[in-house]
Amino acid sequence: MEFFTLRVFRYDPTKDTEPYHQDYKLPVEKGMTVLAALFKAKEELDPTISFRYNCRAAICGSCAMRINGHATLACKEQITHLLEKYETDTITVDPIGNVKPLKDLIYDMDWLVDKLKKVKPWFIPKAPPPPDGKEYRQSPEDHAKIDYASDCILCASCMSDCNALKANEDFLGPMVHSKAYRFAADTRDGAKKERLDAVLEDLNLEWCVRCWECTTRCPKEVQPYENIIRLRIMADQEGYKTPGAIHAEIFEEDIKERGLLNEMLLPLKQEGLFGMIKRAPFGIRMFFKGKVNIADFFGGHKIKRLEEVQTIYEKAKEKEKEVTIKIPQILGVVYEDKRKSKLLKEQRENAQKEGGNQ
Amino acid sequence: MELRYAFYTGCSAKGVAPELYDSTFLVAEKLGMELIELEAATCCGAGAVQEKDEFLAHTINARNLALAEELGLDLLTICNTCTVMLRDTKFKLDNDPELKAAVNEVLAEAGLEYKGTSEVTHFLWEVIDGVGLDKLKEMVVRPLKDFNIASFYGCHIIRPPYLIGYEDPDNPKSLEMLIEALGGKPVDHEARLACCGFHSFWSAEDKVTLKLTAMDTEAAKEENADFMVTPCPLCHTQLDAMQPEAEEKIGTSIDMPVLHLPQMIGLAIGLKPKELGLHKHVIPTTEIIKRVA
Repeated sequence: MEFFTLRVFRYDPTKDTEPYHQDYKLPVEKGMTVLAALFKAKEELDPTISFRYNCRAAICGSCAMRINGHATLACKEQITHLLEKYETDTITVDPIGNVKPLKDLIYDMDWLVDKLKKVKPWFIPKAPPPPDGKEYRQSPEDHAKIDYASDCILCASCMSDCNALKANEDFLGPMVHSKAYRFAADTRDGAKKERLDAVLEDLNLEWCVRCWECTTRCPKEVQPYENIIRLRIMADQEGYKTPGAIHAEIFEEDIKERGLLNEMLLPLKQEGLFGMIKRAPFGIRMFFKGKVNIADFFGGHKIKRLEEVQTIYEKAKEKEKEVTIKIPQILGVVYEDKRKSKLLKEQRENAQKEGGNQ
Repeated sequence: MELRYAFYTGCSAKGVAPELYDSTFLVAEKLGMELIELEAATCCGAGAVQEKDEFLAHTINARNLALAEELGLDLLTICNTCTVMLRDTKFKLDNDPELKAAVNEVLAEAGLEYKGTSEVTHFLWEVIDGVGLDKLKEMVVRPLKDFNIASFYGCHIIRPPYLIGYEDPDNPKSLEMLIEALGGKPVDHEARLACCGFHSFWSAEDKVTLKLTAMDTEAAKEENADFMVTPCPLCHTQLDAMQPEAEEKIGTSIDMPVLHLPQMIGLAIGLKPKELGLHKHVIPTTEIIKRVA
């Protein structure tokens, strides 16, 4: 392919009633990033295109935008890779999602700052600095808990593609919850309770739908989704009785008592009698569609070898006190299906053999 | 290639989605897949246990995986969330010898061991890679050519890449390839890769969940889809059984039927709507049934 189309989101509120896309034909150059393509279009074809940028090295987080529908850093993505990935000759760039565009690819950042302020994204010391005049210190093990979370460059790629934020603009969002985790989990920080109160106001932390978009989008190793889960674990350990914590308890109990979740009794256990009544129309509808198993109201089916599970529960609860689960590195990791790699290896070896025979 | 699997049903197929359980067995048999049900398997924790007690979650899932290893088979799921949760345990145990040893110390109490020899796979992937689309095409007796079909992947079959990795999460194609192999017409829509909202139901039913459910089903409707298809029973419960609540939320009727993946395959390879449990859906599938008759 010699040329490609750079399709750019255009919007100037001083003259446009509606945003629109404008196409620019550019040569395909090896190694050219989307940001470089935007520069080329701006310098050679149309000086009016507006976008934010700074470091051009995936460090500053300024050039986050949606490229073919998914948020990422424009300085990190190469045109040739994208054309291949989407099997297309057109690269579409839009401002990141869930925001108010100001001009072209530039969006209003105030909403991000306002959200961040709610979790006080700064260090609130637990105690005065050590008397020896040195800085606040922590062990490498304690630092490991916040190491990745500290890498956030506030590019808001995660906010862009967040499903919960798409449904409700009041959700604080993965970037903000992740920032709250970074400080709440810092052993030197003294405002854990205050931070948990902030993220759990109106249960905000539990609005997350576990869609894993944020972690998939993050250009760094921040792991926003995993940080949300870590915050939820922390809240549970601090004794917050949220619907999420109750839900987890029900699952634990059902697994121990019968193996599988009892979906029929879930509303009653989750929300009490009031909940059961509230869910009655749903339950009746499900009953008439043959989706309700009456036996489950009286305990119902139990898995085989349940005693194994019960043994494991006892032992796991003891053992977990001495176990620290390491935070794995996940950036750029793609799960490898062992069978496929075996197959690929065989194919490769066969190909090599055939090549050798010729 | 021998298509034998340790079949992990998950809770939904044994609970609110009996039609998924039945249709999976019927379709698998026709396609030459042998499913050996893991009757001793527990719930995967569904993300809930993982948010309270991560070590316990890994221990019970290591047990689930060990059950498949006992049979010397790969573990096959029919639920996206089961897939990602079992993979989460497998990924962490296979990459952290200390954690694996700690989990195995617990499992040993019950005479079990997690080795890491069984892979976790999903029905969708095995139909494509195990059975093969060419073979599937040959088996189609009632092509779905009259249908515009909106695929709904569901989050946990494409994200996160470090636990899934089957295809590009930005541009997956498996469901569309499958729809085309069955003679159907895949329709592109806004919510193809979106979330159904299921997992925040108990905390944010009105604030988030039902809004997403409404957006998703409306997106398929806007593109004139005859029905949606999903490889996940949690998405199905949300999009189908909860659709009336979503409609109420936005104040308009949507009326978008949603099929489980094996049901769609079943229709094309000649199984009857009734045996596939199409009558067990909340949003009526009568129009679909009429057109395949």
